[in-house]
Amino acid sequence: MILRAVEDTDLITRVRRGDVEAYNLLVSRWEKRVFNYLLRITGSPDDALDLSQDSFLKAYQNIAKLDDPARFGPWLYRIAHNEAYSTFRKRRPETALEDENGTVERRTAPSFSLDLSLAVTAALDRLSPEQREAVVLKVYEGFKFEEMAEVTGCPVSTVKSRLYTALDLLKAELSPVNTRPNPRG
Amino acid sequence: MLSTDSSHSCGRADQLRDYVFDELPAGERAGIEKHLRECNDCALELDQLRMTTAALRVIPDQEIPQRIAFVSDKVFEPNWFARFWNSGARLGFASACILAVALVASAWHVADRPQQPATETKTIVQTASVSQAQIDQAVEKAVARVRTEDAAIIQAAMRESRQKAEREYNNQMVALSESFEMLRKKSTYNDASLFRRDEGLGQ
Repeated sequence: MILRAVEDTDLITRVRRGDVEAYNLLVSRWEKRVFNYLLRITGSPDDALDLSQDSFLKAYQNIAKLDDPARFGPWLYRIAHNEAYSTFRKRRPETALEDENGTVERRTAPSFSLDLSLAVTAALDRLSPEQREAVVLKVYEGFKFEEMAEVTGCPVSTVKSRLYTALDLLKAELSPVNTRPNPRG
Repeated sequence: MLSTDSSHSCGRADQLRDYVFDELPAGERAGIEKHLRECNDCALELDQLRMTTAALRVIPDQEIPQRIAFVSDKVFEPNWFARFWNSGARLGFASACILAVALVASAWHVADRPQQPATETKTIVQTASVSQAQIDQAVEKAVARVRTEDAAIIQAAMRESRQKAEREYNNQMVALSESFEMLRKKSTYNDASLFRRDEGLGQ
């Protein structure tokens, strides 16, 4: 007997025939990644969860429009990106998510206790939303530049520029932490 | 395009970043690796980039606080046409459509052919009407002939059946008379034997 892992493309084919359970399996594969992507660009677990649910619902309703099932990941992140930025735009007049320097106010305190984790969280907070999203998509989600461009709807050159500017800022912010001598050493 | 770093003067900052993120074309990898062995500034820059990305990855992924699941609901299900169009039946439907179009086109082509002259059609119709009367007469004759033959066959069968019954009756009579004769002879023999035994006992 030959066992073969069920690919996302197989599940998408079943979903298109109306198989809801196949979609639940697909969701279970992607929900944690999408949630963490949204958590890192919004800073709010509640918002990240709501946006994740909205994103997966929208993906289900539009899955017939997905041209290439092999590109499900970037397509799903594109939906999540649109949902997040749509929410940002709706809230902007009422609750400023960005301060004067263009950085997002975290509405929940970071839950990491280590110094480095705090320093990284603080450094990410000081990036612009676009720069932070570029870092999240590349460093945490591991997308290629072409996929990042697909998710954000920007040219590859713009995505690279955002990422590398953010890296320079992060390198400057984190270098004291990185070079801090080990007290045990 | 991107001049985001000016920490060193090699002008390979973007190449170094592409290298760190494994986005450098294969043809350029060997070149940058050779350069890194020769340029301390670039080697230091590479180390800092790696430390920075490693520091970023210190923040772990969080578990989603609530699992997302969907239930089957008519509102969100694709309609019957979408399900059909995305199913394997689409190919069969397309084939059936092509076949139907081919049949219609073929029928149109046949109907478009020039018709036979009217005189020939009339002749055929007249011939058909005369033949119908002959056919009716022939059918009557054939039916009568078949009935006569059937009657003869039935009579012959009945005659043969009677003869067979008579033969069987005669045979049974002969067999019965033979059985009686044999029974009579056997009875006579038994009486004689009994008589001889009685005589023996008496002696």
